[in-house]
Amino acid sequence: MLDLSVKYLGLTLKNPIIVGSSDLSSTVEEVKKLESNGASAVVLKSLFEEEILLEAATKAEEARIDQMFYAELSETLDYIDLHIKEDKLAKYLKLISDAKKQVLIPVIASINCITPYEWTDFTVKIQDAGADALELNIFLNPTDLSDKNFEQTYFDIIGKVMKKVKIPVSVKISPYFAKPGLMIKKLSETGISGLVLFNRFFSPDIDINSLEVKSANKFSTETEQYNVLRWIALMSDKVKCSLAASTGIHSGESVIKQILAGADAVQVVSALYRKSPGHINVMLKDIEKWMNKKGYNYISQFKGKVSQESARNNAAFERMQFMKYFSGIE
Amino acid sequence: MAINPDYFKEERNKEWRIQLRQGIKNKERVSRERIKMPEQDPDVRNKNSKEVNLGLSEKQAVTESQRCIDCPDPTCITGCPVEINIPEFIKYIEAGDFLSSARVLKQTNSLPAVCGRVCPQEVQCEVQCFYVKKMNKPAVAIGHLERFAADYERSSGKIFVPETAEKNNIKVGIIGSGPGGLTAAGDLAKYGYDVKVFEALHELGGVLKYGIPEFRLPNDIVDVEIDNLRKMGVSFVTNFIVGKTASFSDLKKEGFVAFFVASGAGLPRFMNVPGENYVGIFSANEYLTRVNLMNAAKQDFDTPVLFGKKVAVIGGGNTAMDSVRTAKRLGAERSMIIYRRSFEEMPARIEEIKHAEEEGIEFLNLNSPVEYYADKNGRVNRMKVQKMKLGEPDKSGRRRPIPVEGSEYDIDVDLVVVSVGVSPNPLIPKSLPELKVTKWGTIEVNPDNMQSSIPYIFAGGDIVRGGATVILAMGDGRKAAAGMHDYILKTVKKK
Repeated sequence: MLDLSVKYLGLTLKNPIIVGSSDLSSTVEEVKKLESNGASAVVLKSLFEEEILLEAATKAEEARIDQMFYAELSETLDYIDLHIKEDKLAKYLKLISDAKKQVLIPVIASINCITPYEWTDFTVKIQDAGADALELNIFLNPTDLSDKNFEQTYFDIIGKVMKKVKIPVSVKISPYFAKPGLMIKKLSETGISGLVLFNRFFSPDIDINSLEVKSANKFSTETEQYNVLRWIALMSDKVKCSLAASTGIHSGESVIKQILAGADAVQVVSALYRKSPGHINVMLKDIEKWMNKKGYNYISQFKGKVSQESARNNAAFERMQFMKYFSGIE
Repeated sequence: MAINPDYFKEERNKEWRIQLRQGIKNKERVSRERIKMPEQDPDVRNKNSKEVNLGLSEKQAVTESQRCIDCPDPTCITGCPVEINIPEFIKYIEAGDFLSSARVLKQTNSLPAVCGRVCPQEVQCEVQCFYVKKMNKPAVAIGHLERFAADYERSSGKIFVPETAEKNNIKVGIIGSGPGGLTAAGDLAKYGYDVKVFEALHELGGVLKYGIPEFRLPNDIVDVEIDNLRKMGVSFVTNFIVGKTASFSDLKKEGFVAFFVASGAGLPRFMNVPGENYVGIFSANEYLTRVNLMNAAKQDFDTPVLFGKKVAVIGGGNTAMDSVRTAKRLGAERSMIIYRRSFEEMPARIEEIKHAEEEGIEFLNLNSPVEYYADKNGRVNRMKVQKMKLGEPDKSGRRRPIPVEGSEYDIDVDLVVVSVGVSPNPLIPKSLPELKVTKWGTIEVNPDNMQSSIPYIFAGGDIVRGGATVILAMGDGRKAAAGMHDYILKTVKKK
């Protein structure tokens, strides 16, 4: 009997496949469907700061059209973004508590944030609603050309949230740092329980007929897993928290690779959009087949195996591979 | 229930109007400057609760009324939600017949003394005035003249009580005694109904009493209007919460055949910033209710209120102005508005902002609270604010405030009043699950007659609009009264 259970953020998961934050986890019904298809945990759809603001503008316009809140003089309309935030939060808290009542797997709340202000107080309510953990998707724009201390904001947000909640906190980051390795290491030392590598930014494309910017692939492709694999491999034995791999993980084989590199768990989304939630079961079966073939009974028997063997001198390893491929040096 | 435009024309063509028009040439009328409303001195008024505006004298009122050129197409009326015959009431002032002027007001407006004080005329009737539209000059002071006529009538002791039809002994209920409820009560009494107003609080008047301080609207003015309704046969019951004290079905069993719900938007909103629960942080609703309605500031009353020396009021609307000016009058050494946008975006009336500035209120615009701190007893003693800058206009055309990173600083405070809006009162919708509500939490009505999804329930004012002005609520009250009358004629009377 194979045991696929893993430890992630101090929680015991029945297998390493977590469904990442997306529309797939935006209702209790969806969450139930994911559980019945084998997901070991779900990260609920994020509360977005920007989304709230955008919605505020739309709502303000709608209120004007509906002749609500007497536009010229209304304090309610003037602060409508805050009120929408309240409403949205109430709905989100209900999603957490309802999901917790109806599924057995851990429910991880998610906040997509860019500042350490206003919203951090909400985290207590998220904890009180019963979330098993909180994932902070810190979404700072790497194209920002100002000289503000980009990295410091991460620590400010984490510091503020960690003061407020007792549930495990994980942080989902982008790969865009001057020294990603150092940043990952330092973040892991803040007391958080896990890091998710990496979030996926909107990718622009250009339509050469209309000469307009359009969205490139909405969903990740399998080739995107390799950058994640690199950083999981490089950092898994240097961090003081769990690591989850995210982006480009579409098959059982990809899950195995990330675990061999040292990941504690993986997050999948695009593969489920492309196929269906039933694909989780397919991935799990592939993992089991491979484990049987290799004679593994537990995930821990192969977790980090390749990373540990090949990463004794990571910097040299990375450079040697580069020279081998591009300069013909053996 | 729009008034036939021919009626306005007929009135305008009456001999006395023609003679008045001929008395002063338009050239002379338009050359006059708008009369300034006399006010209490700022340094005196910020220490008392008496009215800031003192009202026009008879001479001033007549002079101002002479500015009105009695347009053949009086666009000002289009800006009035209750379609007051504005030129006619102004011309009666010019003619020196002030009591007739008040009667014209009362034809369509049951609370002229109130509206003359708190209506935002600058965005309603006055913005439609010929002077503004065609001459780019200050409008005729319609609001000030309305107040003058109503006050004259009240102080004359010859208060006009509108005629009522013979009693038909059909019972109708009004829920809420704010401006919408009082207006509907008056109109329904005129139709001959047995009208009863149910008020949840211990005092009548709704937002007119609990929400608007005496320095803008003295309570006794509201009481006079309520007494007038009593004279028309309207009865009132206080401390009665429909949906709790008695249900709609209980009241129907008692013989009520239709209801007008005007329960307002009394549910305060907060910002959800850390520390907002500390002692000394009030919603504007609570703060103003304690002071305005429960006499908390007076020593011989038991209701407590905190007297802050360093008071911060969060928000930039009229309620924020009322709160910050109240705090100043209660002895605050520092009374501050903390608002995240600039003067340009402030929703408060320009007059209220000007009055507040004159009274020594500090405006910390482009600032927003980030966190509150408290002493060992849990009483707020400091707040952190962050500076803001304004971004590009968003989809709704408003410039969004954007936090300036690293700009936070602390301010010592001992009282904070949060005035960032209200929600519709949820009590009635909750007590009637079959009642349709909008996505805004307001009661869904047919805008033509204010009838809800439950045929015998009509609604208006803030419970329908989310946030309305006094006059809009009154307009709803009038429309609903007509709608209820129609409904009763078609259904109840047929039985």
